[in-house]
Amino acid sequence: MNLTEEDYLIQLKSLEELADSHPDDPSHHFNLGKLIWERGEEWRENAAQHFLMAAKLNPQNGEAFRFLGQYYSCVCGDTQRALKCYQRAVSLNPDDSISGEALCNLLDREGKESLEISVCREASGKSPRASWAFSRLGFLMVHQKKWSEAVQSLQYAIRGYPTCADLWEALGLAYQRLGMYTAAIKSYGRAMELESSRAFAMIETGNIFLMLGSYRKAIEQLQHALEICPQSACAQYGLASGLLALSQECIRQGAFSWATSLLEEASEIAKSSAVLAGNMSCVWKLHADIQLTYAKSFPWTEGGNLKGEDEFSRSILSWRKARQSAALSANCSYQRALHLAPWQANIYMDVAVAVDLECSLQESQEDDLSSWKLAEKMLLGSLLLEGDNHEFWMALGCMSDHRALRQHAFIRGLHLDVSLASAWAYLGKLYKEEGESQLGRQAFDRARSIDPSLALPWAGMSADMLTREPASDEAYDSCLRAVQIMPLAEFQLGLAKLALLSNNLLSPEVFGAIRQALQCAPWYPESHNLNGLVYEGRQDFQSAVASYKLARYALKTSTFHLPHSHFSDLSVNLARALCKAGNVQEAIRELDDLKERGLLDVGGLQVYAISLWKLGKSDMALSAAKDLATCVPTMKLSSAVASICLICSLLYSISGAGPTINSILQMPKELLQSAKVSFIISAVDAVDQSSQLQAVVSSSRRSLSSKEEIMEMHLLIALSKVIRSGYGHSISVQSGIDHLRKALHMYPNGISLRNMLGNLLLSRKQWENDHVVRRCCAVVAFDPMKNDFRSAYEIIGAEAVACHATTSCKSKYSLSTCKHHDVQGSSLMRLMQRRFRLEPWNHNARYLLVLNLLQTTRQARYPQHLLDVLKRMTSAALTSQLFLNNTFERYKRFQLLLCSSELSLLDGDTSCCVSLARDASNLSLSDFYTFFAHLQLCRAHAVEDNHTRLDEEFTQCLKLRTDYPIGWISLKMIESRHKPQNGSTPSDSGFRDSIKEMKGSESSWLAVYSLFCGLVSQWSQDFPRAEEFLAEACSLEATESCFFLCHGAVCMELAKMQHGSQYLTMGIRSLKKAQWISSIQLPFVSLLLAQAEASLGSKLKWDISLSLEWYSWSPETRPAEVYFQMHLLALGSDGSDYGDPLSWVLRAVHLNPSCLRYWRVLRKLASSGNS
Amino acid sequence: MKLAGLKSLESAHDDSIWAATWIPANDTRPFSLLLTGSLDESVRLWKADDDVVLERTNTGHSLGVVSVAAHPSGVIAASASLDSFVRVFDVDSNTTIATLEAPPSESWQMQFHPKGTMLAVAGGSSTSIKVWDTSTWQLVASLQIPRPESSKPNDKIATKKFVLSVAWSPDGRRLACGSMDGTISVFDVSRGKFLHHLEGHLMPVRSLIYSPSDPRVLFSGSDDAHIHMYDAEGKSLIGSMSGHSSWVLSIDASPDGGAIASGSSDKTVKLWDLNMRAAVQSMTNHSDMVWGVAFRPPGGAGVRSGRLASVSDDKSISLYDYS
Repeated sequence: MNLTEEDYLIQLKSLEELADSHPDDPSHHFNLGKLIWERGEEWRENAAQHFLMAAKLNPQNGEAFRFLGQYYSCVCGDTQRALKCYQRAVSLNPDDSISGEALCNLLDREGKESLEISVCREASGKSPRASWAFSRLGFLMVHQKKWSEAVQSLQYAIRGYPTCADLWEALGLAYQRLGMYTAAIKSYGRAMELESSRAFAMIETGNIFLMLGSYRKAIEQLQHALEICPQSACAQYGLASGLLALSQECIRQGAFSWATSLLEEASEIAKSSAVLAGNMSCVWKLHADIQLTYAKSFPWTEGGNLKGEDEFSRSILSWRKARQSAALSANCSYQRALHLAPWQANIYMDVAVAVDLECSLQESQEDDLSSWKLAEKMLLGSLLLEGDNHEFWMALGCMSDHRALRQHAFIRGLHLDVSLASAWAYLGKLYKEEGESQLGRQAFDRARSIDPSLALPWAGMSADMLTREPASDEAYDSCLRAVQIMPLAEFQLGLAKLALLSNNLLSPEVFGAIRQALQCAPWYPESHNLNGLVYEGRQDFQSAVASYKLARYALKTSTFHLPHSHFSDLSVNLARALCKAGNVQEAIRELDDLKERGLLDVGGLQVYAISLWKLGKSDMALSAAKDLATCVPTMKLSSAVASICLICSLLYSISGAGPTINSILQMPKELLQSAKVSFIISAVDAVDQSSQLQAVVSSSRRSLSSKEEIMEMHLLIALSKVIRSGYGHSISVQSGIDHLRKALHMYPNGISLRNMLGNLLLSRKQWENDHVVRRCCAVVAFDPMKNDFRSAYEIIGAEAVACHATTSCKSKYSLSTCKHHDVQGSSLMRLMQRRFRLEPWNHNARYLLVLNLLQTTRQARYPQHLLDVLKRMTSAALTSQLFLNNTFERYKRFQLLLCSSELSLLDGDTSCCVSLARDASNLSLSDFYTFFAHLQLCRAHAVEDNHTRLDEEFTQCLKLRTDYPIGWISLKMIESRHKPQNGSTPSDSGFRDSIKEMKGSESSWLAVYSLFCGLVSQWSQDFPRAEEFLAEACSLEATESCFFLCHGAVCMELAKMQHGSQYLTMGIRSLKKAQWISSIQLPFVSLLLAQAEASLGSKLKWDISLSLEWYSWSPETRPAEVYFQMHLLALGSDGSDYGDPLSWVLRAVHLNPSCLRYWRVLRKLASSGNS
Repeated sequence: MKLAGLKSLESAHDDSIWAATWIPANDTRPFSLLLTGSLDESVRLWKADDDVVLERTNTGHSLGVVSVAAHPSGVIAASASLDSFVRVFDVDSNTTIATLEAPPSESWQMQFHPKGTMLAVAGGSSTSIKVWDTSTWQLVASLQIPRPESSKPNDKIATKKFVLSVAWSPDGRRLACGSMDGTISVFDVSRGKFLHHLEGHLMPVRSLIYSPSDPRVLFSGSDDAHIHMYDAEGKSLIGSMSGHSSWVLSIDASPDGGAIASGSSDKTVKLWDLNMRAAVQSMTNHSDMVWGVAFRPPGGAGVRSGRLASVSDDKSISLYDYS
């Protein structure tokens, strides 16, 4: 109230007057006192007198007492009186927060906490709106650590002051202490929302997250807190421990380098917090923990790019140094922690662990068993302090070198806690080391049943199972579990070894494990060796070679002694990898070296023989094979089988079939009783004309057991039947097909059999049967087998190209009259696309897609969008095909070039077309194919009107000849159109030769040829000859409706030209036949028939045929003429069956306005309508 | 965590469905849309919350659609077909914004930058990732997988390193791509530099996704039937999950980062708990290879529950509730 002096005096005066006039009215006194009170400090005494008066007159006025209390406490310093006044004020009005706060402050100053609490209780009991009391009480309860009461009071208080961050923070703390963590996080969150700089709330939230295991969230919170107050040791401690926990999580997953980067960060933070609070032992312990974890997990990452031994040992040394220095620093920090808190038993153990790690990293062997090791001594310190802690006993057991002491320690641990799984596990390990495998197994079993999430017992069980021969799969599984629980290098190496024994080397678990093991145990030769084996299994031979080399460096630099066999094994591995990688020279150098030292074993000999053969030293290879053969009887069965296979293959590829057969015949029979050998012998037998091996083959085939093996063998037999009398010969192909049919009857699910059958059927070149192929090939959506033969997709794709039946999904483009027309046909394009989608890198898939697309495009009459796609696909296919090593590759390129050339011809780009076709003709393929390139050139030149070039190419075609009849027909077509000048005409003999080979389809080809000749005659207006040819075609192939249609049409033409009525009847017969044969309603047939019937005078039949014609067209393809004809029908009918003739003509005109005939009729109709 | 089947729409397309993704909701359209691409040469937009309702069919491709991608703003999306024709279109109006052409076999999986500034396209036989600017639609970078030193010039490098899949890290600084030989290559985008390979798969890597919660963690699905978890920065394999009996064709990470879903040619959709490192659920409602799985991104009006969509060769779309 900013009153001016004048106003004040006026008010004062009036109030004084009022007070004087009504001396018994307390309100006037109170008001007066208030006025004076507010005037300033020096007037307070005066005011107090008025308040006193007011209070005396009205003892229920709490406000007066409040002012008095303020007077006594602030002006007079009379605490006792002030207290009384405030108490009075509060008891009169419990909601009076000013008095309440002041009272509590006074009490607090006096140290009367219990009194304070009772005041607050009383006030809060009286009024639920006394928020000050609740909040005060809440804080007090928090102070006294009475958490649950604090929660109650604070909740009430927050109702009064919902935006007070302090209250929320206190509430959070109370919840946290009560263990209600989510509630605590919420409360802290509210506090932070209200005031974003609440560091305490942030730190505590971080701590809660740490406790709950959400390290990422914790780290985020604590980093934020550190930004606000960078000097908070508490936040730093929390952050460092959060990072440590996160890194341990990473280590458990095997992400060592990630963990290392986290640990480096953590270590920095821990160090700076140690600067801030250097006297806290826990800070030092944290730093030491971080360093210890670092020392244990720092990975060796240099791997493959190390050249030479020196570099390797230097890198190992620096890696070891990094680990050592971390261990040293951990040790120092632990010692500091211990120095600060020597009463904490566990720090003794920590020091012991650090010392032990340091010793193991330095590889200093203390052989003196009589004296106590430093680590053991430190552990005794722990045990002296807390003898009943089983952890210390366990640590002692792990670190001691004395067997007896270890056993004692573990048993003491078990005394203290009988269900201590780790003690059982270590005990098991100890027993195993002692050779007591029975006891060891029992101990492991017990440990595993107590705690199945412990890695060691699984590893132990795995090692135990390995000693029992047949159970290596089981051993692998349990070792895998151990590795998954804990990525320890020892377990991982064991896993890789077991994987080698149980054929699991390719599994990614093993790959991951061995890579991680390499990061932790790079000094151990076996880890490099196993890494090399894994690489080799994955066909990455260069990396395998590098690994084996590293293994050898490690072997040379290692301090412990390994047997010689280790070295020779490694050299053989290296040589094998070198040989596979193509570096045969070096491989032989390695093996020669071994041979000189006399360390060449069976495996080495095998590699040696192959390397020599690869190098071209056949004689030496044979002698090595002989050496190998002498060893065979003494070998184990599996390696003997491998050796026999190797020897046979080598012999065959060096000296041919004869000597191989001889040596097979010399071999002991019992060694040939194996599936693998059986395959080899059968293959050799297949190329042998004299069948000397029949007996051996049939006896060895008995060893085939599984279904897959038997099916494979059937394939081999079928192939051998095919090649017995020369591949490609139709008889031999037929015998192969027959065999496969029989085999398929036995194994109807044999996919490879089916595909092979399809392949052979296709290669028989009997086109009319190709539709069978599609039914016999089975397309499986997912085919895990990598077939050496063609896959079902490719066979079906090839069939689709061969059969021309790729009616695209838009069937309106064409009318298929093929009687084998298949419902599946429409989805073939889709099938090809699916295949391409599955293996986009597969050139064959793309090639088949292009070819099928070309046919679809052609059927659809070359629509622009399809042409664009086709152009892009073709050019991509052409550019991506780099290799022309074999005929098939060249043939594919040839086809693609022709396809591309055809496309440019369509574009009108003849020069490009010519150059592409020229490229195609230059590919060294057989003349049969090259013919088509020249044919294409003929067409291109014909378009150019370049007669000289056309003649040249034409002669070239005649010279080359082809055995594809369609080629001859095409050539004839060019001849008929362009009349080459040089006079040479393709005699029919070429065509007749080409169809001679075909047994089944000879007549149909002849029919096609006649059809063609007929068409040629028709073009030259020679209709009688055309009729003869076509009649011949119809008689040759009586099942093809198109022939009859053509014949009928030509007959009709002849009849129209007044050649005689016999043509009319012939025409009707042919057309009826065409109608009857065709599976769909052929257009034109009915129309022609109608005209024929009409000219014979049968109006009814004309009627029926014409209306049939209407339905044989699909709505969008109906030509104008059909509409026009319908008008005739409408005119002829009496009623309105066919609608208004005028409208039909109108529609015809609309479709084809250029036809004058329609207009004429229209005019006539219109005028007659008008009249 | 749990998947519950909500709806399975049979014959959603006329033929195999090969790709699926969600278009996030935005200011003008308060719900997410499901985008699918199929062998029937069309791309369809679906309104999918509890039911799957066709919103629109986009045509224009000449061959099957192999990949679809949605811009984080929810305004534009892209679809790529077998002939490597990428069409970028406006989601709401279906107007073509850009067409990106590459030689066939040089466009496979696509993904937009998390901020939407760029579009990465797995470059197939070009053994590279093509990065397009989304404002000018110009090619801004072509991140090439380096040839191994030992390779001869005419080695079948284009086949071995054929790039099938691509993924942006959540911060947009890294790009990873998966190749046919099973390796994954990691690139630094700002410097346009190859960083390193991640090894471990034996067969083609068809799908990649970075974890939304840990920018270092990359998940990959491969034909060797495994799902791997990599520390993409420390180039180490930190987890390998097996359970599918055939190729893993597609994977996606849940928005909370706690789970991933995978679709496989063994016809199942599996849900993997990342804490347990194991499949917790296997859905068998598809009758053919599952080519795409996609979690719905958070956001949109009234959307609380998570959704997962899967598409398959059996022409159906399945929708699940994820909780």
